[in-house]
Amino acid sequence: MHFFWQELRAAVPLITHGDPQLVSVIGFTLQVALIATLAASLIGIPIGVALALGRFRGRHTMRVAANVSLGLPPVLVGSILFILLAGNAPGGSLHLIFTRRVVFIAQTILALPFTIAMTAAALEGLPPGLLGQARLLGAGRLQLAALALREARIGVVAGVIAALGTALSEVAAVAILGGNLYGYNQTLASATLYYVNGGHYAQALAIAIVLIVMILVLMCALGLLQHPRGLRLRFRSAT
Amino acid sequence: MHAVWEQLRAGISLIFDGNELILSLTWTTIRVAFVSTAIALVIGLPIGVAIGIGRFRGRRALQLLANASLALPPVVVGVLALLLMVPGSVFGSLRIEFTLTAVYIVQAILALPYIVAFTPAAIQALPPGLLAQARALGAGRGQVSVLAVREARIGIMAAVIAAMAATVAEVGAVVIAGGNIVGSDQTLASGLLDSFLLTAGNPQLIAITIMLVLLLVILLGTLTFLQQRSGGIQLRFRTAA
Repeated sequence: MHFFWQELRAAVPLITHGDPQLVSVIGFTLQVALIATLAASLIGIPIGVALALGRFRGRHTMRVAANVSLGLPPVLVGSILFILLAGNAPGGSLHLIFTRRVVFIAQTILALPFTIAMTAAALEGLPPGLLGQARLLGAGRLQLAALALREARIGVVAGVIAALGTALSEVAAVAILGGNLYGYNQTLASATLYYVNGGHYAQALAIAIVLIVMILVLMCALGLLQHPRGLRLRFRSAT
Repeated sequence: MHAVWEQLRAGISLIFDGNELILSLTWTTIRVAFVSTAIALVIGLPIGVAIGIGRFRGRRALQLLANASLALPPVVVGVLALLLMVPGSVFGSLRIEFTLTAVYIVQAILALPYIVAFTPAAIQALPPGLLAQARALGAGRGQVSVLAVREARIGIMAAVIAAMAATVAEVGAVVIAGGNIVGSDQTLASGLLDSFLLTAGNPQLIAITIMLVLLLVILLGTLTFLQQRSGGIQLRFRTAA
């Protein structure tokens, strides 16, 4: 245990004293997570609404595709995009590989299935009569979508939180496409790989602690959202 | 698009020629998938059943913990596990850091929450009278557990499927605790993060990507097939409602 405490004692000051390298990685990670989640919400929520309320051909296929892509491994997203974007591949002329921009794009793509599938699922879970009634009363498409979103807001926000968690902590696509470049496009997760590789265990541990805290904050936000009257209620409803 | 087709052809021919690297990565990945999922199942199923049918204090807290640990980032698991394994640390004398054993262990840790969190959910979704009736008819704890597992097998299989998907495709913990060493503990997924393989137009990169997709589809497809055959999809929808 001695070794573990030793590293922990070295790691904690890095956080409390705001090690500049750590602070800049945290800053970039938050920027990536927030922008990717925002983009995924702006693109994904309307698609989710259309999948749940629309009546067009191919809706069911798209719905299944959205669910399946929830399970898409980030490492595959990374390698397939790398193959399409690197060197003289068709996307090579975009010069995205090993840039900051590609990190934003990769995390947006990974976050997107959560906003699409969970929005659709939340809307499908609404009482069946509700939207029919609104239609009868003459609500237009936009009014209907706004009503559905307002009624299903908890499920929709849960999807956004799940997207944020993915954008914060997934590492594979970021490392593959961004190249995990020190001081340039490292996120917390990919910087961990870098530090462990170099044997800098205290830094890696400091990042692990920061990541755990961030994920815990997100989970508490989710818990409060679903059960605003506090945790006690949550325990009860879990059964 | 021409360049991609060219690469794709080169990648596929690597697979058909039985390229040594691709074969060894695939074999390591299969071993990790089965060993880690088995470890997670052996440890997780009893815990999951206990949470699902038990009536002890702290049961809900345990369930909450299991649900929360589903969100644990693999890199965090990797760092914590590695720090416990390096020489001079708690398990340092075992010398398992940067070995296949370490990979088995971290992937089992990542797979565990799926089993522990989904098993109680599957058991609690059973018709409420079923287990109570068995108890009333005099079934002991062991018998009730066996009955619960048998009746909730479809949900438990779903947990196994999710667990195995994680052991095959998650890469953060493998790279950190295993060190991503070629020929020793590199898997298909972690191979994609290897800077020697990760170069533009490398046919090996394409071959690994294809093999990873194939392996995921075959493993998860087979398990899903077994799941559906074992209970019928209808029963599942009924109990989930």
